[in-house]
Amino acid sequence: MDPLFLAWSCYRRRKFQRCSEICSKILTENPYDQAAWSLKTRALTEMVYIDEVEVDQEGIADMMLDENSIAQVARPGTSLRVAGTAQAGVPTPAVRPMTQSGRPITGFMRPSTLSGRPETMEQAIRTPRTAQTARPVTSASGRFVRLGTASMLTNPEGPFIHLSRLNLAKYSKRPELSKALDLAALATEHAHFRDWWWKVQLGKCYYRLGLYREAEKQFRSALGQQEFVDTYLYLAKVYQRLDQPITALQVFKQGLDHFPGEVTLLTGIARIHEEMNNIPSATEYYKEVLKQDNTHVEAMACIGSNHFYTDQPEIALRFYRRLLQMGVFNCQLYNNLGLCCFYGQQYDMSLSSFERALSLVSSDEEQADIWYNLGHVGVGIGDLTLAYQCFKLTLAFNNNHSEAYNNFAVLELRRGRIEQAKAFLQTAASLSPHMYEPHFNYATLSDKLGDLQSSYMAAQKSEDAFPEHMDTQQILKNLRQHFSTL
Amino acid sequence: MSLFKARDWWVSVVGKGEEFDHGCLCVGDVDNSGNGYETEASTSMGYRRNVNKVETDSVRALYKRSLELDCSLKELDCELRRLQIKKIKLEIKQLEKTDLNKVVVGSYMGMLRIFLPHSAKPEELMDSDSQLLEVQLPDPIIQVEMGKFVSCSELLHLAVLHTSKLSVYAVSGTAGNVEHGDQYQLRLIYEHHLQRTACNMTYGPFGGITGHHFICIQSMDGMLMFFEQDSYAFGCCLPGFLLPGPLSYCSRTDSFIIVSSSREVECYRYETLAVTADADIRKDCDKQSKTSGKRLMADWTLVLGEEVLDICVPNTSPTLSSIFVLGERNLFCLKDNGQIRFMKKLEYNPSCFLPYGSVSEDSTNILMGNHNNMLLVYQDVTLKWAAQLSFVPVVIRVANFEELKGLVVTLSSDGHLQCSYMGTDPSFFTAPKVDSRDINYNEVDKEMKVLQKVIHTLPRAETEENISLIAKVSPNLDEVSCAVIPEMNGMPVPSITVKVKVRSSAVAQSPKMTVCVQPPLAVTQDQFVFDSMGSCCELVVQFAVFLNGHYPPADLCVDVAVSYSSATGVPRVSQCKFTLPLRLVCYPSSPCKSAKNKITVDTNKPPINLNEVFPDFSEKSENKDNNAMGFQLINGSKVTVLTSKTSQRYRIQSESFEDIWLIAKELVQRFEQHFSSLGVKDFQNSFTGPVPISEYFETVDHHFELRRNAQKYQDLLSERAIQFRAIQRHLLTRFKDKNPGPLQNLDTLMEGTYHQGSKKTKGGILDLMPKLVQPKSFEHVTVFLKNIIIM
Repeated sequence: MDPLFLAWSCYRRRKFQRCSEICSKILTENPYDQAAWSLKTRALTEMVYIDEVEVDQEGIADMMLDENSIAQVARPGTSLRVAGTAQAGVPTPAVRPMTQSGRPITGFMRPSTLSGRPETMEQAIRTPRTAQTARPVTSASGRFVRLGTASMLTNPEGPFIHLSRLNLAKYSKRPELSKALDLAALATEHAHFRDWWWKVQLGKCYYRLGLYREAEKQFRSALGQQEFVDTYLYLAKVYQRLDQPITALQVFKQGLDHFPGEVTLLTGIARIHEEMNNIPSATEYYKEVLKQDNTHVEAMACIGSNHFYTDQPEIALRFYRRLLQMGVFNCQLYNNLGLCCFYGQQYDMSLSSFERALSLVSSDEEQADIWYNLGHVGVGIGDLTLAYQCFKLTLAFNNNHSEAYNNFAVLELRRGRIEQAKAFLQTAASLSPHMYEPHFNYATLSDKLGDLQSSYMAAQKSEDAFPEHMDTQQILKNLRQHFSTL
Repeated sequence: MSLFKARDWWVSVVGKGEEFDHGCLCVGDVDNSGNGYETEASTSMGYRRNVNKVETDSVRALYKRSLELDCSLKELDCELRRLQIKKIKLEIKQLEKTDLNKVVVGSYMGMLRIFLPHSAKPEELMDSDSQLLEVQLPDPIIQVEMGKFVSCSELLHLAVLHTSKLSVYAVSGTAGNVEHGDQYQLRLIYEHHLQRTACNMTYGPFGGITGHHFICIQSMDGMLMFFEQDSYAFGCCLPGFLLPGPLSYCSRTDSFIIVSSSREVECYRYETLAVTADADIRKDCDKQSKTSGKRLMADWTLVLGEEVLDICVPNTSPTLSSIFVLGERNLFCLKDNGQIRFMKKLEYNPSCFLPYGSVSEDSTNILMGNHNNMLLVYQDVTLKWAAQLSFVPVVIRVANFEELKGLVVTLSSDGHLQCSYMGTDPSFFTAPKVDSRDINYNEVDKEMKVLQKVIHTLPRAETEENISLIAKVSPNLDEVSCAVIPEMNGMPVPSITVKVKVRSSAVAQSPKMTVCVQPPLAVTQDQFVFDSMGSCCELVVQFAVFLNGHYPPADLCVDVAVSYSSATGVPRVSQCKFTLPLRLVCYPSSPCKSAKNKITVDTNKPPINLNEVFPDFSEKSENKDNNAMGFQLINGSKVTVLTSKTSQRYRIQSESFEDIWLIAKELVQRFEQHFSSLGVKDFQNSFTGPVPISEYFETVDHHFELRRNAQKYQDLLSERAIQFRAIQRHLLTRFKDKNPGPLQNLDTLMEGTYHQGSKKTKGGILDLMPKLVQPKSFEHVTVFLKNIIIM
């Protein structure tokens, strides 16, 4: 059998290793076989292929040295940088946890889930990197819960991106990036500026180099030549990076005009809505996604978590159960199932779900989260010893778990160990200043102890984190009254 | 991922260790048994010829005859009906020619097999019964197709493409006499030897002929070869060819659609191809190697920018003319003129697809297989159904068998052949069981209690540490001082050596030691990294402590901490604290009678000789006056301690209030030591005078001011840092421009900011440091006094 044909056939069937081996054999015999060279490079690139659209990581340097900011203070609802003003009907942070950047936690882990920008370099350096776990949450009474958010995809061939792989690819590409740019530019010229594909590549190079305006130009021009889903996605990505979510939405909608029902475009819209804190429309679009593709894991997970946080655990349970039936099999899912069962008062299922989740953990962070949730179950059923031990385990697995610190403090306070509680609250507050609970708890505690000054300061911080919180306002009001009478 | 799995109707594993790819499966009525060309003889019934025989014998005979006639009439009627039904059936069959499909599978190992799947009856052996034919051909089979390939017949024939040969076979079946079934044969009609390695082929009524199919073969090096039945027509080379892609024929436009190596879909008209091929090649058509010299012009091209797996031109709906292209990441539907009708981005890796029909007027249904073992059904871009398969399909076909229509036939690359249909069987996936033990509640309760106990006792048990630290301060100052600043205020700065013995009683992994002293004291090395220690190891670390600033320290305490992880990986810390001798920071001097600040310490024991208490300071003050002793702080003022002869009082006086602290503390400590060594237990000291509150507040204010200053410097620093970054950003923008503009002195500005930022604040903070320490000493004194008062 002709080896080249066999290699070609292997490539078709995605047996890249074998394909490249056969090609190497051909090439040792005839090093000038262009076809074999080409096939081998194809196979090798395909082995490490990542969808560029999904890759989005912004380093600190990128964030801080971004010269593209248009308006420092954007009008509400036009920027991704400031957390959107909460719309009516959106669960408050008391119900739904917030990420560091003030957005509600989403139900699906993506590379850019938490693209909040710190305001200064100092803050960027100081704040803990909570990117990999969209930080969980708790509350004053230690009664609110987070859903495990991380990746829902189990299949290695899906669009899930391996960070390790990603970095490698990035680094290996970096030195050649400028070369790639040159190549793309030359090719475009060669094609008399008529080949949209090279323009897209040129745009990608510009994007990587941080020249967003140039990238935008290239993508626009490519779109003028040939409507293509990917180009729309890239263009929207540029606008997102430029912090123009409204324009990005427009681009997506234009794309939808040309490609009605395109799932990736719909998902893009939903993600932007979610990031802008507009959960109802995000859910709307996720539902649209499900109409087009009823096996879409991300949409299901997001709708599920939304239902969970709007106090409908039974409905959320149905979504998660469907995910389970579809073959998503990981600890996050079982974690969520356990929580939904617990809040849906199906206690028998709840514990066994957590048990399964524990047997499936792959990292300490996940394990910490599951123990944390079990701690909530302990609090919920009144078994404070269990809760105490669970939170302790959480901290053993993840020493930066500020929610656990907070809840731990509440438990300690109940046991009357005020100093311990204070210390834990302070730790929690310093670990994640974006959470209002530790601040609020600290404020109440100090208030009771008579340390009005610290109480006032903590209450102010709590108000910053969650302006609508009634209890905080109450405390502040009392304190102000107190101060004015002094 | 799917809710459901595809339901198996018929499954077979074809061959062992054989390999299959995209072209290796085709479905059709290969032996022409079902579409009307079958010999009619076997089905027609013979008439009874004896009905016309006249019998006049008797009534009975007449009666019999009438009966017979009646009977035969009925028979005829019956026959007629049967024929009618037959006819209708034939018509139906002709309408849907694919009534009795067979599945033809060829492998890379050269095995050609034909299957007629039927529903499994449990008692039957499935494989042997459903397999009609198995032939070992000498060459690997890369593609099988069915079509009207023989010139004088409209029957379907089987074209088998080998890497260097194209063979066309007729498959025929003869009914067997025995129960075991029919006998099938493969008969070679004609074959072409190819001079180039073939890659794939397509067939169709090229040039608009009717009732026949021609074959077009694409070679690995980019030549299209056309065969008109048993003769070679012509061949032409594709321009710019590197690797072959899929090939398809579109009968509506009579053109070929291929994917070139530059990832473009190209469409060539048959006419164009035929004209470009030179006329002289037509003359000797046997020489396939010769090709045209003219360059081919494509009808249209479309840049896709990705590899293409398959092209399909379905004839499902007469109104809708579309070409489906399956790329590696997208599915495209093109119009006949090469414009994109729609496309869909796929979020998985597809393996094969088949547009198979249309339900509504302007949409097409597509079957798609992917590398996650899924079978997906799309209606245009909307996912209609997803089903789990047990393997990755390389080919999908739709076939009709005996009683069931529209079965999905899939073949995997290792030979799993499956006929399935969409059902609501739940998908295979069942979560593996967690190893749940049978819980004996009593035992668990007991275990729980034991564990609880362990937990309760743990904090106390944990006090024993794996590493113990023993610090030993050498009794004498170093002979050769290690101090960085050799002299201050005309006095040499001494240093003192400290030895820390690190002893491990159990395994300690990667221990690190840090030494912490109060500024302005400094150590020669403040961090030590050790190798992991086994049990009962001992290490001795040595370092020297000295003054390194022009102000007295507030405290002479040293903290040494070792952090390590135990054998089980639990992080642990061992600490030890000790005080440095006073001699490190002050010299003995002659006492000074008058001073601005004084404090008096009362005790409840008779006065003692100061020389006894301060033996290390006694040598210089050898004047017999034992009631006074002077201390000269290296970088502070002189402190004098006086004893009263009559009362049990001691006075400490100095020009600066802060400096009293170190001496006072030392004094009280030494008294306590002294008396405890004498066996006196109820030694007490107290302070009766007023605490210098006003001075204290003054110092607090001063300290506050200093703190504010420090904060100011910090603000300045961050402000400069922001400015610095802003300039950097501007510079970056400048440099990014395609034609960089002048820098407009931004570089100078940047440098200036840097200097401002770093130098100024550095200097400022260095200035502040001693001032910040002073109040600390002051505070210490005051607190000390307060404590004494309370006593």
